[in-house]
Amino acid sequence: MFKDLDPILHSQLRLAVISLLISVKEAEFTFIREKTNSTAGNLSVQINKLKDAGYIEVLKQFKDNYPQTICKVTPAGIKAFELYVKNLQSYLTIKK
Amino acid sequence: MDDNENEFSPEQSLRLISSMIETTKNSLKDSSHYFLLWGWAVMIACIGQYYLKVIVNYPNHYIVWWITPFVLLVHVFFIVRDRKKEKVRTFINEAGSYLWTAIGLSFFATSFVFGKIGWEHCYPFYIILYGIGTYVSGSLIKFKPLIIGGIICFPLTIITAYLGFDYQIIMLALAILVSYIIPGYLLRTKYKKQQVNV
Repeated sequence: MFKDLDPILHSQLRLAVISLLISVKEAEFTFIREKTNSTAGNLSVQINKLKDAGYIEVLKQFKDNYPQTICKVTPAGIKAFELYVKNLQSYLTIKK
Repeated sequence: MDDNENEFSPEQSLRLISSMIETTKNSLKDSSHYFLLWGWAVMIACIGQYYLKVIVNYPNHYIVWWITPFVLLVHVFFIVRDRKKEKVRTFINEAGSYLWTAIGLSFFATSFVFGKIGWEHCYPFYIILYGIGTYVSGSLIKFKPLIIGGIICFPLTIITAYLGFDYQIIMLALAILVSYIIPGYLLRTKYKKQQVNV
């Protein structure tokens, strides 16, 4: 039987966010919204869930007098993502 | 993108992960303006120096290189402008900026060395620095014209070391053409195509 997939990551938008952040150093909220094709409200909720799980770091700052939100994956987030992919792979192998 | 957790299969998960990673892989930053700025500045300086030294025999032919501080100012302006527009920082962009900082510092440090041992020795070293910068930069972003331009600089360095100073100026112009100017325009074209396809 396959191991349970992490419920925090096994959601379309949260997985998209973490997959984006895993391959970059850091990204702005607007970049993530653009690439995941999501709404600001939904993305904001999902980012908070990832942040509460300790998978991402969220930095709020001002850039040229405009608020800016920067997201960055944490070591715990990398570990969780790696485990998620490993579990996915084992699930797909069993299924074959 | 919705957050429909229930209808989300492991197969879809894998597809989503690879498509997101692909998205960031394809978000190539347009750095062609840096290559074109320095490329044309060095090219103009080389033509100017060759004209002053070889054609009109002007003894202070080095004055053309006073273009450098002005180009540096434009470069800083580009950096500040690009930072403002930057929405994502990739590890590749970061590695690239460390590389070019090191190359910039090498030009600065070697200017003191050549000030001491004589500027007539500088061009083979400058060509190799162009080569290192463009070869590594091209390899980081997997852009062949930069890689090829960088590689060509290595034999050009060897040949230049055996030539007289007048010919060294031409070799420097040739090196900047193959390592900065041509790849710079090709990089710009690639970036524009990428923007159209997004």
